[in-house]
Amino acid sequence: MKISAEKKSGNGNRVILVKRTSPNSDPEREKNLFQELRELARAAGYLPVGELTQTRFPDSRYQLGRGKIEELAELVRSTGTEKVIFFNRLSTIQLFNISEMCGCQVIDKFQLILEIFAKRATTHRSRLQVELARLKYEVPRARAVVSLLKKEERPGFMGLGDYEESYEQDLKKRITRIEDELESAEKDNESLRAFRHRKGFSIISLAGYTNAGKSTLFNAIVNESAEVKDMLFTTLVPTTRALDLGGRKALLTDTVGFIEDLPHWLVDAFKSTLNEIFLSDLILLVVDVSEKPEIILQKLSTAHDTLWDRIQGVPIITVLNKTDLLDESELATIMEQIGYMAPNPVFVSAKAGTGITALKAEIIKHLPPWSFYSLSLPNSEKGMSILSWLYEEGIVHRVEYGEGITVDYESRTEIIKRAQALIKTEEILNNAKATE
Amino acid sequence: MWDIIAVDISGRHRIKGGYYMVCAAVTLTVSANHIEKIKQIKIQPLWLKRAPSLLDIVQLIEDTADQLSFEGTIVTEKGDMYNRPIWVLESMFSRAFKYQESIAERRAIELVHHISLSARNLLINELQIEA
Repeated sequence: MKISAEKKSGNGNRVILVKRTSPNSDPEREKNLFQELRELARAAGYLPVGELTQTRFPDSRYQLGRGKIEELAELVRSTGTEKVIFFNRLSTIQLFNISEMCGCQVIDKFQLILEIFAKRATTHRSRLQVELARLKYEVPRARAVVSLLKKEERPGFMGLGDYEESYEQDLKKRITRIEDELESAEKDNESLRAFRHRKGFSIISLAGYTNAGKSTLFNAIVNESAEVKDMLFTTLVPTTRALDLGGRKALLTDTVGFIEDLPHWLVDAFKSTLNEIFLSDLILLVVDVSEKPEIILQKLSTAHDTLWDRIQGVPIITVLNKTDLLDESELATIMEQIGYMAPNPVFVSAKAGTGITALKAEIIKHLPPWSFYSLSLPNSEKGMSILSWLYEEGIVHRVEYGEGITVDYESRTEIIKRAQALIKTEEILNNAKATE
Repeated sequence: MWDIIAVDISGRHRIKGGYYMVCAAVTLTVSANHIEKIKQIKIQPLWLKRAPSLLDIVQLIEDTADQLSFEGTIVTEKGDMYNRPIWVLESMFSRAFKYQESIAERRAIELVHHISLSARNLLINELQIEA
């Protein structure tokens, strides 16, 4: 029996969703988590035909009680299900036991997320990331998987050691290779980011829980048409577009959404994607405000948890999206409840296009400050070429042509420093020519 | 902006002779993603012969917070309170209580964690406690 998550999924396959709930947990929250599992299954292209829950502490062999697993096996047979999806993380032994009993493939929530990522991965880098995440998930299970599958078999005379060892070693080698390759891709990205900064672009990224409407907002701000769906993880590959904010150029990046309990190995695997968020100048944290306050808080908490130690003081604007679904008094009540988790809130309806101007104003307010400076350029061919370069890199407020050219200029400090250096070199050259 | 009391306890593992715990509590003013002001810090050690129960932990936090001259909502990590649901703890504290959520609250817990850890290390050295 195949018990790894390698098989390609989806295409309307019938599945049963199963969840174990710990005693004395919050029932409302558990209900929401189950709803999230349903949406994840839908995003992976499955058709849930049955659901099963049990409240108990985990069983080491079956996760649920044995009786409940027998019930599950019966349900699998009667509905003709091809796969069982568990909300809870399953150990290798549990996976093996349950799939033996049910006679179909069994996966847990993390494998399901991996399947979604694998389906949506379109670029070389995202395929590598998915492969890395899958390998990292498999390593701790490698020994157990092999020993379960080859219970009786052992390498005989002159065999080169155990199967378990070699499979684990193989996985580890592949992990190192992929990490090396991703690292070089990350370096390319870093140099691209540095290049954009040098060119005077500020980098803004959209972050938020999955299905908060980040892509819709992205489209509304940059007038683009990135794929938008009412589905979890529609965006996996970051998309970047230029944005003109009253003369200041910025780059806006649409990124992958967060999800609760995202395990470390998955966050690590998608590090290079998430870096787009962590290393930006400004973060727009998108929140679906039409949901219940408790759910909004839970999702904000997940976002804060992912961000807090990685962003090093980067300003955050909370974009409260989908305001068209609520009236003003409802919005005020929600703000009262979630205000302590929402820095610099702005109300927006990305779909209806309201609030975008206010959002842009807020973005300008929080971008790294530009300096004002008065520059005197020589009125020469070289001086004119510096001036046209200044037009490209920042905002020219006033130009006066006389013996020299006086420019009132606003830009990043680095650009002004470079302009001053250029002017100085030009002056030295002119003086040298004059003395000749 | 609002006031919180960030609390962390170090030393909840067994050493020779029992458990030597140090609780640190800090009153801070925070916004959603920044610590705006640190007002006061208090530290309280506790020796226990037996493993600490939830009630011991709550009592220790209350004792430390009582020494502060400022009020605020007590904020801790979930693990510090044995991952118990929030409603259990809300009923056990005399002040408002919540688990860490926002960036500022997490930063505050990071700060208070370093305080309790270094205070415990110092006390263990000074009092020559066998760890």
